[in-house]
This record gives sequence, C-alpha cells and structure tokens, in this order.
Amino acid sequence: MAHVEMRQVTKSFGTATVIPPLDLDIAKGEFLVLVGPSGCGKTTTLRMLAGLEAVSSGRVSIDGRDVTHAAPGERDIAMVFQNYALYPHMSVRENISYAMRVHGTDKAVIAERVGEASRLLGLDPYLDRKPRNLSGGQRQRVAIGRALVRHPQVFLFDEPLSNLDAKLRVEMRTEIKLLQRRLGTTAVYVTHDQVEAMTMADRVVVMRAGVIEQAADPITLYERPANRFVANFIGSPAMNFLPARVEGGAVRVGGQVLPLPPEEATRLGPRGQVLFGIRPEHMRPSGHQASLTLEPQAIEPLGPHTLVLGHVGGERVTAQVDPRFPVRAGEPCVVPVDMTQAHFFDPVTEGRL
Amino acid sequence: MTAAAARRDRIKHAFLWPAFLLVLLISLFPLIYALTVSFQTMRIVPPTPPRFVGVQNYAEILQSARFWGSMWTTAVITVLSVILQYVLGFALALALHHNVPGSSLYRVTFLLPMFLAPVGVALIARMIFHPYLGPVNDLMRAIGVGNVPFLTEPNLAMAVLIIVEVWQWTPFVTLLMLAGLQSLPQEVFEAARVDNISAWRRFRDITFPMLLPISVAVVFIRLIEGFKVIDTVFVLTGGGPGISTETLTLFAYNEGFKKFNIGMTSALSFTFLVVVVVFGTIYLALAQRLTRRYA
Repeated sequence: MAHVEMRQVTKSFGTATVIPPLDLDIAKGEFLVLVGPSGCGKTTTLRMLAGLEAVSSGRVSIDGRDVTHAAPGERDIAMVFQNYALYPHMSVRENISYAMRVHGTDKAVIAERVGEASRLLGLDPYLDRKPRNLSGGQRQRVAIGRALVRHPQVFLFDEPLSNLDAKLRVEMRTEIKLLQRRLGTTAVYVTHDQVEAMTMADRVVVMRAGVIEQAADPITLYERPANRFVANFIGSPAMNFLPARVEGGAVRVGGQVLPLPPEEATRLGPRGQVLFGIRPEHMRPSGHQASLTLEPQAIEPLGPHTLVLGHVGGERVTAQVDPRFPVRAGEPCVVPVDMTQAHFFDPVTEGRL
Repeated sequence: MTAAAARRDRIKHAFLWPAFLLVLLISLFPLIYALTVSFQTMRIVPPTPPRFVGVQNYAEILQSARFWGSMWTTAVITVLSVILQYVLGFALALALHHNVPGSSLYRVTFLLPMFLAPVGVALIARMIFHPYLGPVNDLMRAIGVGNVPFLTEPNLAMAVLIIVEVWQWTPFVTLLMLAGLQSLPQEVFEAARVDNISAWRRFRDITFPMLLPISVAVVFIRLIEGFKVIDTVFVLTGGGPGISTETLTLFAYNEGFKKFNIGMTSALSFTFLVVVVVFGTIYLALAQRLTRRYA
C-alpha cells in the first residue's frame, strides 16, 4: 500500500472547483515533486495533504491512517514554507526546538536532535541568533531543521527555494535532495520551476488546472511526454511545435520533407494532421538526420551553444546550434534535425501519438 | 557666494520666520508665560498684582494632601481602566480577527463609543447610574438590592468612572490590536498548527510576543491620555463626593477657574507635566526590558 494516498480528492471555493477528483499515491521514501504553472492547484493539493485546507470531498490517508478530517498537527507531517515562517522572536535553537518543548519532550532528546539537525544543516554558528540576523538561505535551513527534528512521516515543501537567489537555489536543491535520501523520509515538494522538479524528484507530477497531466520519473517525462502541455512545460528552451502531415515515411512541414526512421514511420502510418514536436537541443546531426530550413530573426549566443530564434511557415521555432554554426539573422538557414527525437501529438486531443 | 546665491539664500528667512513666530505665539509663549506665572502669586478675583514668590507654589502643592489625593485618584482610574481596556480590547480584537459570526457588524459598532464626545458619554452615564431614575438602579431594585448610590459613594463613584473610561476607550485598543493581528504573517501560525501547537500556546508563545511592541505603544497612548481625564469626571461626579474622585486635571481646573488662583494653577500644571513625564519614562523603561526579552 502507498505511504500517502489521495483518493478522489476535490477542492472547491464556493462554486469554483479548483481541484476536480484527483488520485495520487506516494510510495514510502519517495521524493515526489508537484510542478505546474501558477494556479494549477499544486499548492492547494499540498495544503490539503497538510490539512491546512479542508478537502471538499474524497479521502486522504498517511501511513495507512485516514487523516481526511484530522487537524494538521495530528497528521505527523512537517512543512517548510516559501517564506520560511520562522518565529521571529525566537532564536534559531528555540525555533528548532519549540514544538518539542511544547510537547514536553525530554530535555536530553531535544538537545540531541537540535545538535543533530544543526550539524546536518551547518547551523552550529547561528544557534543563538534571531531569524532577522540570518540570510535567506540560512533561514530556510532553519525552517528545514525545524521540520526534520520532528522525525515526521512526511516532509511537505511549499516552494521553499523561490525566495532565494539563483546560485543559492542550486546549492540548496542538492542539499535538500541529499538530506531526504539520507533520512529516507517521504517528501512532497511543490515548485513552479521545472528544473527544480527534474533535478530533485524521484517522480514528477505535472499539473494543470487541478488535473494531473502526467506523473513519471524525470527522464520519462522528458523523453516521452504524455501530451503537448507536458512536452511544452518540461525542457528549456521549450519544445517547438509545427503543424505537419505524415506521408510516405516522412514528415511534411509546409513544403519541407523530413524523412522519419523506418520503424517510426511504420508505427505512425500516414496521418493527415499531426503536431510535430522537436526540442531545440535535438536540432543536431544524427544517424537519422533531416534538414529544416528556417528564417532566423535573432541569434542568442550562450557560450556552450547558440540559440537561433526564427520562423518556419507561420510558427515560431527555436534551434540550439553549435557556437560556430554559420547563421545570420534575416538569411534563411538549414539546421539538422535528429528525427529519432521527434514527438507527435494529436492536434485535437493534444495527446501523444 | 555670489550675490544671486546670497539673495536666494536670504529667501529662506521668508519661509522660516512666519512659521516660527506662529509656533512661538500660540505654543511656546503660553508655555513660557505659564512657567513664569507659576513662580508668582497671581489672582484674578480679587485682582492681586503678581508677586514673585519663587518655588513657594510648588512647595505648597507638594505639602497639600489634596494634591496627593488627586494624584492617587488619577493613578487608580488610569491604571485600572487601561488594564481593563487592554485585556478587553485585545480579547475583542482576537475574536474579530478570527471572524466570529457577525464580526463585520461588531467591527463597526464596537468602534462607535470612541467617536462620541467624552462629555456626551459622561452625561449618558450619569443618567444610567442616576440613584433614582437610572436603569441600573431600576435593575438593582428589581433584583432586590435596592437603590445603590453609584455616584455619591466614593468607591462606587470611582468604579463608575473606570467603567465609563473602559467603555469609551476599549474600542481604540481593539482597533490597533486588530490592525496588529492582521499584519502578522499567516504562515507562522500555519507552521505552528502543523507542529501541533495548541491555540493557547500559539497565543502565549507567538501572537502575544509578536504583538508586544504594538501593545506597549497602545498602552502608552492610553496611559498618557488617561492621565489627562477631566471631562468625564467633571460631568459625572464633579470630583465628588467631596474631593474623593478629583483628578489632577480637575484639581488644577478648580484652582484656576473656581478660586482664580492663576499662579497656583500654573504650578499645578507643571507639576502634572512632571508627573506624566516621570510615569511615562518609568513605563517605557519597564516596557523596553520586556520587549528586549523577546525582540
């Protein structure tokens, strides 16, 4: 049985339904990331799991225990908030130990756990400081420390890194992931940053408008997105989509013909209208290479590679090419396309073909 | 400096002096005048020419039992009413903050007493606590207690004054504490809920300490305002029975406008100023020690 289960959980605010019936199983020790654009219901889902929002219907259970109507404090969870939510008038030590002190935990146990957490998170020099005398990264470490001393069943993270600067975010990302590995505690992590989702998760749940679009490990999500939304959301720069036809073992985009690998051509068969999807980084030479002519409008050199922003027909296309690739804005150019990495979606249902 | 710059610089006087003279005229001059008068004997009725007497007025005040009595009265009314205002006001603010049913209605009605003129409030209170005609005594008779001399028995009169002060000024505390509550970060309380902290401990360990700075300010404002109470006392008891509810301000008023002893009144006013400053300083020193423990 799954460690955390959400069964047919819904959430409505008044007449507005934010989460239509949602099912989610989380295995013990799994690091699950909920990702999606703003307003997709990922935070609401997390807060329902925490008990900070009541579910409108459905059932939530943690470790086999039905907690649907249990108060947040009775769920044996610990949560880390976006803006840290530290007690501003307490020192770091007091912040970390507060819940244990209130619950009458033995003094020796408190000291031991605070020591353990502060060692793990590198908080030893700051234990007697107040949160306002700490940097953002240190504050978030304290918040994590406060969560982990409780030895909960589940860690909940609500966009914990979005208030940190980019460099710190990358560091903390690794730290949180390693920490979770070491403790083996089930973790649910909400973010709108797909890079964060991909790098940290055992399994990523992509949400849109309260609906789970795909739940899979990061590589599957990248290589076999279930639909156009996921394909577009995962990966940066985003995948290119071109309306096309599949005829005679080749993709026809406008007047251009891009031959498919034979097995892919057999699988798809002839199709009238499809969405041909290709990631910018897959515009590269390969064994099954095709050529695509595009009209570049802007060139963005990034160092390791260069982005060519242009048009094919009426559609915007981004290609990622070698820094020395001969291309000039305004002059049509031909880029290679690795056809083994092509994706096809139904133009109506937007599902993967 | 060039001539043009000097001319421009001179313009500053045109802006500075009118304001300075105005302040001097309406604020500083009376203050300084009163200070000089406080070192003189000066009576309007019967007209007596002013005579410098040094600190004799002050000496007389400090030796007068009536002064110390009025000081005690003022302190009792102020301290007790401010404690009650704070406790009740904070409790109401908490209730309104947690959206008890009908809180939007209360939010408006609870504030109304604050907008009334204290004299009006006192007049209404005088009718309510009237020994024969007041509804409170109607109630007392109905439950068999009989007529209670609310305004003519010293302790009861003090109690009535405190009740009226509390009734009128609790909304002020509610208003500011509610504003304070609403400015607290919501996530901190959610974090505490997730950590299974009871509502009482959340209040004791989080809400109260986080609102300590605003509490100190609110109580300070109410203490200073409370010390100046005169209108309520003037209308309700006139300082009576006898002088048992006479506050410092009322004492000064009686000296000045019943006895027309201007020198003495001025000295009283300055003594009053000193008392308020001393009380305020002591309070702030204590409050600072308290907030430092948390901040």
